[in-house]
Amino acid sequence: MITLTDFLFISAGLFCTGIFIVLSKRNAIQILIGIELIINAAILNLVAFGKYDKLNNAGQSFALFAIVLAAAAVSVALAIILNVYRQYKTIDPNKVERLKG
Amino acid sequence: METALSYTDPLIIQLAIAVVLLPFAAFLINFLLISKTSKVSGWISSLAILLSFILSAIVFFKVWDKPHDIHVQQVWFAIGNVKVQIGLWLNNLSVLMLLLVPAVALPVHIYSIAYMAGDAKYTRYFTYLSFFCFAMLALVVMDNMLLMYAFWELVGFASYLLIGFWFTRDKAVQANKKAFIMNRIGDIALLVGILMLYAHYHTFDMVKLFAGDNALANAQGVDKAWLTIPGICFLCGAIAKSAQFPLHTWLPDAMEGPTSVSALIHAATMVAAGIFLLGRVYPAFNADVLTVIAVIGCFTAFMAATIALTQNDLKRILAYSTISQLGFMMLAMGVGAYSSALFHLATHAFFKCLLFLSAGVIIHEMQHLKQKHQLNIDPQNILYMGGLRKLMPVTFITCSIAALALIGLPLTSGYLSKDGILIQAFEWAEGKGWLYSIIPIGAMLTSLLTAFYVARLMFKVFFGESRLKEFNPDIVPEAHDGSLLYQIPMMMLAACCLFPLFSFNPFFYEQAWLFKGFIASSYLERMNLYHTVVPVAVNLLIVPVIYLAYATYIKRDAHWFKQQGVLFRFSYNQWYIDSFYNKVIVKLVLLLSNLTYWLDKNVIDGLIGILANIGILLGKIAAWVDEYVIDGILHVITGIVKQGGNFVRGFQTGRVQGYLVTMLLVILVLYVLKTFI
Repeated sequence: MITLTDFLFISAGLFCTGIFIVLSKRNAIQILIGIELIINAAILNLVAFGKYDKLNNAGQSFALFAIVLAAAAVSVALAIILNVYRQYKTIDPNKVERLKG
Repeated sequence: METALSYTDPLIIQLAIAVVLLPFAAFLINFLLISKTSKVSGWISSLAILLSFILSAIVFFKVWDKPHDIHVQQVWFAIGNVKVQIGLWLNNLSVLMLLLVPAVALPVHIYSIAYMAGDAKYTRYFTYLSFFCFAMLALVVMDNMLLMYAFWELVGFASYLLIGFWFTRDKAVQANKKAFIMNRIGDIALLVGILMLYAHYHTFDMVKLFAGDNALANAQGVDKAWLTIPGICFLCGAIAKSAQFPLHTWLPDAMEGPTSVSALIHAATMVAAGIFLLGRVYPAFNADVLTVIAVIGCFTAFMAATIALTQNDLKRILAYSTISQLGFMMLAMGVGAYSSALFHLATHAFFKCLLFLSAGVIIHEMQHLKQKHQLNIDPQNILYMGGLRKLMPVTFITCSIAALALIGLPLTSGYLSKDGILIQAFEWAEGKGWLYSIIPIGAMLTSLLTAFYVARLMFKVFFGESRLKEFNPDIVPEAHDGSLLYQIPMMMLAACCLFPLFSFNPFFYEQAWLFKGFIASSYLERMNLYHTVVPVAVNLLIVPVIYLAYATYIKRDAHWFKQQGVLFRFSYNQWYIDSFYNKVIVKLVLLLSNLTYWLDKNVIDGLIGILANIGILLGKIAAWVDEYVIDGILHVITGIVKQGGNFVRGFQTGRVQGYLVTMLLVILVLYVLKTFI
């Protein structure tokens, strides 16, 4: 029997992996993948906690919304990355530092 | 006699106004339209004065000797209930002047066309001359004292402009300044007199004050002093304008102007304005003032005649002669010989104008001789003349006629007017005590002196041999009468110097028409011995006097008139009056102005300086406060902002992942704090 705690562990693991990727990678696409992992960790939590609402399935519905929003966010992010590449000829976020004070 | 309002003829009024405005029109045209050296201006001015003369003659014949004065008025302005009116007041006196001024001005204008022909400021000369004629004509017809005063000033101003016409000469500038300042003394007195009368009678209208039965003398309830003082004030005005002692010294200096100007303004018309004023306001004088007038006139006449004896400058002699003759007129006014004074004014205008015009021609010729032979002489000095009789016959004849008129020999106009004054002076002094008889005797003496200095002038200028030969025996003096433009005016004036113009009987002044036009008086009858004795005595004495001059200056065998000694120097230096003024009055005035200058410089300027220094000090303090306090505060504030900005700037690394780490750390810290505290 898979308990709620297992879900939460997996979710926490996904989240930590995502954070690690986001902070450590030198490639914007990989960072985007890390962000996707973080989002999926959150969606997994939503679905896992959905067992307390069997009547309305609110967890699952929110998860659906979140997935759609994540897809939208990815497309926007990819567009940004494309433009950044055009400007800087690189997608290494450390080299994109024109906003430095 | 009513206030003469009953008799007004619009035609005469319009003509009189036209007489006054024609020269003004010429003035405007010359001033605005004519170029600087254009010869048109002279003809415009002359034409205007010719028309003026014709119209004034018409006015004269219509007004002269009519029972009523002509008087029209119009409201000029009103202040509250007080209405000030202006208008014309034409009576015998003013129409006489109205005719006399253009009659003298016309020959002078024509003469000036030739005389000023080479001058660079030809148009300006005629502009001024027309302006003068306008002011003078307006002065004589005004009925309002205030406006009369204004024209009185304008006449003085025109005289100022013309004396200083050659303003590049320092002497001319000094002379016109002097004339202006000395006239100002009289003008102020005149203004005070006018205002005093206004204070008591509440009117500037001369007709109300002085005409007929409205005379001031009938005034009741007014203190006698308030009648005497305005009289004295009017007298002072006349003294300055007519160059009487003690304000006479401007007139000899005024000879710096062009000679034609001297002839018109400083011999015939403007200086006579003082006498005219006395005649106009005659009822304002009571017996005391009249005595003062007589004394001043007599003294001036005598003094100026003694000065004229020894002067060498041709124009200066004539100037002193003018002063002397004006003194005669004053004297006549003072002794009540009102009509004689005005009669003498009219005759004097002609013969003195003629003398000046002759002098102009003579000086002109002397100037030519000087340049031709390159002599270092003063062309006006009579000591260098002589023998001009044959060279300039027309000038000689006309000048002789004028000289005889000035001396007062029979058959001339001067005889008629001068003897009238002498006779009436004797009548006036009769029965008043011996002290009063000084005046007629002084007048008599003066006329003998006049004969002497005029004879001296004529002998020195026209007779004998040219004294230029003493410089260089080779000189053959050449001179001629000049063009017709010179000769015609002089002949016209010479004709006016003879008796027929004034009286059909050359010996009895009582029959002169001009004389009868004024106040009918007992003088008109040959009622006592004086009327016969005085003229005969004067003329009998004049003959030896002239012979004496002849003996002294031509034959040179009479030597009692010494060229040295106290009396000669006294006369030669013009009684030291000018020196006295320069040494005492001018010095006092200068001292006073230096004192005020010192006060101004040290006290007033000092105070202002202190105030200014206080201001500067305050300014410096404010500047210090501004620089160190206000600016300091601002610098501190900006410094803080700058440091803060620099500090905060450090966080902005531009590394997105760095921001994310920071954010996660903050959240972690918050959670930790939330959990454990």
